[in-house]
Amino acid sequence: MIQTLRRSWPGVPWVAPTVVLLLALSIYPLVFSVKVSLTGPAGFSLANYARLVQDRLFLQALAQTLLYTAVALAIEFVLGLALALLIDSLGRGRALFRAGLLAPMLLPPVVVAVIWRLIYNPQFGVLNGTLRSLSINTSALTWTSGEGGALASVILVDVWEWTPFLFLLLSAGLQALPYEPLEAARMDGASSWQVFRDVVLPLLKPVMTLAILLRTMDLMRIFDQIFILTQGGPGFATETVSLYIYRTAFRFFNFGYAAAMSFLGLGLTIVFAKSLMRVMRVSK
Amino acid sequence: MKSALRYVFALLALTAAVAPIYWLVTISIKRDIDQFAVPPLWFHFQPTARHYVESFSDGNLARSLWNSTFVASLSTVLALLVGVPAAYGLERLRWPRDWSQKIGFWILSTRMLPPIVTIVPLFLMLRGAGLLNSRLGLIIVYTAFNLPFVVWMMQGFFREIPRELEEAAMMDGDSRIGALVRVVLPVAKPGLAATVVFCLIVAWNEFLFALILTQTAASTTLPVAIASRVTQYEIKWGAMSAAGVVAMVPVLVFAGLAQRYLARGMSLGAVKG
Repeated sequence: MIQTLRRSWPGVPWVAPTVVLLLALSIYPLVFSVKVSLTGPAGFSLANYARLVQDRLFLQALAQTLLYTAVALAIEFVLGLALALLIDSLGRGRALFRAGLLAPMLLPPVVVAVIWRLIYNPQFGVLNGTLRSLSINTSALTWTSGEGGALASVILVDVWEWTPFLFLLLSAGLQALPYEPLEAARMDGASSWQVFRDVVLPLLKPVMTLAILLRTMDLMRIFDQIFILTQGGPGFATETVSLYIYRTAFRFFNFGYAAAMSFLGLGLTIVFAKSLMRVMRVSK
Repeated sequence: MKSALRYVFALLALTAAVAPIYWLVTISIKRDIDQFAVPPLWFHFQPTARHYVESFSDGNLARSLWNSTFVASLSTVLALLVGVPAAYGLERLRWPRDWSQKIGFWILSTRMLPPIVTIVPLFLMLRGAGLLNSRLGLIIVYTAFNLPFVVWMMQGFFREIPRELEEAAMMDGDSRIGALVRVVLPVAKPGLAATVVFCLIVAWNEFLFALILTQTAASTTLPVAIASRVTQYEIKWGAMSAAGVVAMVPVLVFAGLAQRYLARGMSLGAVKG
C-alpha cells in the first residue's frame, strides 16, 4: 500500500505540508463559517439568510458597495488603459514614468488613508488650502466629512490608489503583444485608431478580462481605506459590506449573521466573474 | 498626438500619482505652524526631525515597527519553507493524470477567498489556542495567506529551468532534495527573491487580520498602530505622517528591487492584503 503510494504518487510528501496548512487555515474556517451561518438557536436554520433581505442597513451597504465597485472600476479601467497607451508611446523616460505611476498601489493602505486625511481635511487639508489660496470659498467642500460627497471622495481615493494596478497589467499586456499583426495592419494603411480598435483591443482582451476580474474581487471586499478614512460614515454614507460584516461580527458578536453576509458577497462576486468570462469569451 | 503633448499628459499623471506622497513627506518634516499654511507650502519651509523623534520615542510605535518586521520576516520564511517544496513537487515529480494541475488550482483558489469570510473562524481558533494578541498567531495566519502565492510563483519559475540541470546532479549521486537546494534554487534565485519581496510586502501592508487578531499594543503591527492614531478629531499630523513615512519607505524600496516581476506578482494578488 505504502509502496504503491510511493511509486505512483511520489510528489505527495512534497505537497502535503502545504495542503494540510491550507486545509486547517482556509478550508476548515470556510466550512465552519458555512455551518455557523446555517445555525439558529434551535439547530439548522435559514434565519440568517432570510434576515439579509429584510435588513435595510445591509441592503444599503450592499448597494453602496456595488455602486462603489462599478464607478471605481469604470474610471480606473479607462484611465489605466489610457495611461498604458500613453506611456507605451513615449520614447525617452518610459521607465521613470512607469516607476512613479506605480507608487500609489504599493503603499500600505493605512498610509494611503493617512495621506488622504491630510488632503481632505476641510479645515487644514491641502486641497481646501489650495482652493482657498485661489480665493475659492470652501465652506461647502467637506469631502469625506460631509454626507453628500463622502462616497465620491472615497471613490477618488480608490481611483488614485488602484488605477496604477490597471495601468501595470495593461501595459504588461501591451508589451507582450505580437509584433506582426500590428505591423501588417499598419502596412495595409489602417489608421492608428483602426489599429487600436481592430487589432490591439481584441489581442488585449484576455489581459483586460483578468485585470477587471482581479480588481472587481478586491473592490467588492473593500475595507481598509474606508475603515480608516470614514469608518463608514458620516452616518451610513460610506458603509460597505465588509465594514458592516466587521461591525456585526466584532462589535455585536453575531458571527452567524456576519458569515451569511460574507457568503452573499462572495456569491455575487462569483456570479459576476462567471458572467464576465462568458461575455468576454475567455476560458479560465 | 504630438510627442510634446504626450509628455505633458504623462507629467500630469505622474504629478497626480506622486504629489500626495510627497505631501505626506513634507508634513512629516514641517514645523506645526507650517503644516496648515495657506497657500500650502510645497517647497519652502524649515525642515525638522521633531515628529520622527516624538512619534517613536513613546515606545508603542517603535514596538509595532518591530512587530511588523518580526511578523513579516518570519511568516515569509515559513511560507517559503513550506511552499517551495510544494511548488517543486507539483512541477517536477510524476503525478497520476492531471492531479498536479488540480492540486495547483485548488491551492491558488484558497487565495481567492475574501479574508472577511474566514476571519471569524480564525479569530475563534486562535482564541481557543491562546494565540490571540500574539505575534505567533499572526505569523501562522500570514504564512497560510502567502502560501498559495509562493507555490504559484515558484512553480512558474521552476518551469523555466531546464530539467537536465537537476537530472545531471542526480546522476552524480545527489538526492532530489540535494539537487533542489544545490542546483535548482541557485538558478531560480531572481524568482525566489521576487517571491520573498512580495510576501514581505503583503505581510507588511496587511491590515484587517492584524486589526482583529492583534489588539494589544504589545502585539499589534505598524498599520494598526498608525490607524489607531488617526482619530477623527484630534490628530497629531506630524507624528502620524512620520509614522506613515516609516511604514511606506521599506515597501517602496522592496518593490523597486522586484520591479521586473511586478506585473506577474501583482496579478496573483501580491501587495494588497
